[in-house]
Amino acid sequence: MPSFDSKRLGEIHRQMHSHLPSDPALRVKSLESVLVDKQMLDSGAVDAWVEIYCEQMGPKNGATVVAKAWCDPDFKARLLEDGTAAVAEFDFIGRHAAKLIVLENTEAVHNVVVCTLCSCYPLGLLGPPPTWYKANEYRSRVVREPRAVLKEFGVELPPEVKVRVWDSTSEARYLVLPQRPAGTEGLDEAALAALVSRNAMIGTDLARAPKQEEAA
Amino acid sequence: MDSVHDLGGIEGFGPVDRSHEDEPFHAPWESRMYAIAAAIKRPDDWSIDWFRHARECARPVDYLTLGYFEQWCMAYEAMLLDSDIVNLDELAAGKAAAATAPANRQPVTAEQVRGKAHYPENPLRPGGSPCFAVGDKVVTRLAGAPGHTRLPRYARGKPGVIQSYYGNQLLPDAVATGRDEAQPLYVVLIRAADIWPESADSDDEICLDLWESYLEPA
Repeated sequence: MPSFDSKRLGEIHRQMHSHLPSDPALRVKSLESVLVDKQMLDSGAVDAWVEIYCEQMGPKNGATVVAKAWCDPDFKARLLEDGTAAVAEFDFIGRHAAKLIVLENTEAVHNVVVCTLCSCYPLGLLGPPPTWYKANEYRSRVVREPRAVLKEFGVELPPEVKVRVWDSTSEARYLVLPQRPAGTEGLDEAALAALVSRNAMIGTDLARAPKQEEAA
Repeated sequence: MDSVHDLGGIEGFGPVDRSHEDEPFHAPWESRMYAIAAAIKRPDDWSIDWFRHARECARPVDYLTLGYFEQWCMAYEAMLLDSDIVNLDELAAGKAAAATAPANRQPVTAEQVRGKAHYPENPLRPGGSPCFAVGDKVVTRLAGAPGHTRLPRYARGKPGVIQSYYGNQLLPDAVATGRDEAQPLYVVLIRAADIWPESADSDDEICLDLWESYLEPA
């Protein structure tokens, strides 16, 4: 049974630092072997996770949802009303949130998502998070100077657009619904989904129209 | 717990490094660790908040400098040691001691991993009588809390407005101490101008998910 004792956890971390090798590759290998020995892990299941969730899963589920919301006003209304139920209409595999909240970017408000305390992220729609999302720099700065951080990502918002930062402190997960770019009226859902970057669904990018030569 | 994991608003960090923008994993052991965490047969008395707390209790210098998945590995090692499931010698050797009789556990199989959606345990609990309504003005609690908690330092003692209500949800502070206790959970909107001295003229806003015991009436 866990001790539920912060001081004991701290002491354990210090002991590990003194007694275990510092090479993380070695540590993870040992951890896996011990867990298999203890019948807590099946290496075949680990292989399957790596194959499906590390190598195949990307942000395309999220982009599919966004493109449908751009094309189908009824779906968009359902998505904003109850993101969890609306996404369940798709047959996505993956790790889904118990509660999904979709944040709509408008002419007046630009939403951006962070988890300052750890790394909460909508895995089922966006796949494993990029390294920067989990990094000290993003977590510390985007709540304090969101416009400066967005500028580093190539997003410069006019002063009249309000920035709303969402700090994911519960089990709710947040997905940004970016604005549909102008000049994309003729595109179908698949072509639109290709315009939706992972970062646009975190809020550190905008969905962008295809370049002229590609659109022709 | 007032530890270094509570990074929001801490100054001194530089530009966001996007050099590996499209590579969530940088080495095979990183994706392996991610998958181990997903496929492990967890003891019933572990929880997501206990895991978070196991990472938060790392040596502060390690939290700020070691890689993300290295810290996941350390958090799992720490939870296993804390629960007396393994000992340090076993982790050092990468092998269970011969004397250890394996429990009759049934780990997740590859078939169970493939081709289906995985949902975490739903933290929503029945009941709950929220003290606040949407639009109510509140002040976030000023004091920190021992152990695991989800009220970031930068958002303590600040005026806010209830933006929405998410229902009666498991309280991380309680879950991380082994108690299945729920409280009303709200989205609270706080003006950047009320948090950061340099944002006095800003209309920007911050929304956080905060439990009822983190809040007081304004």
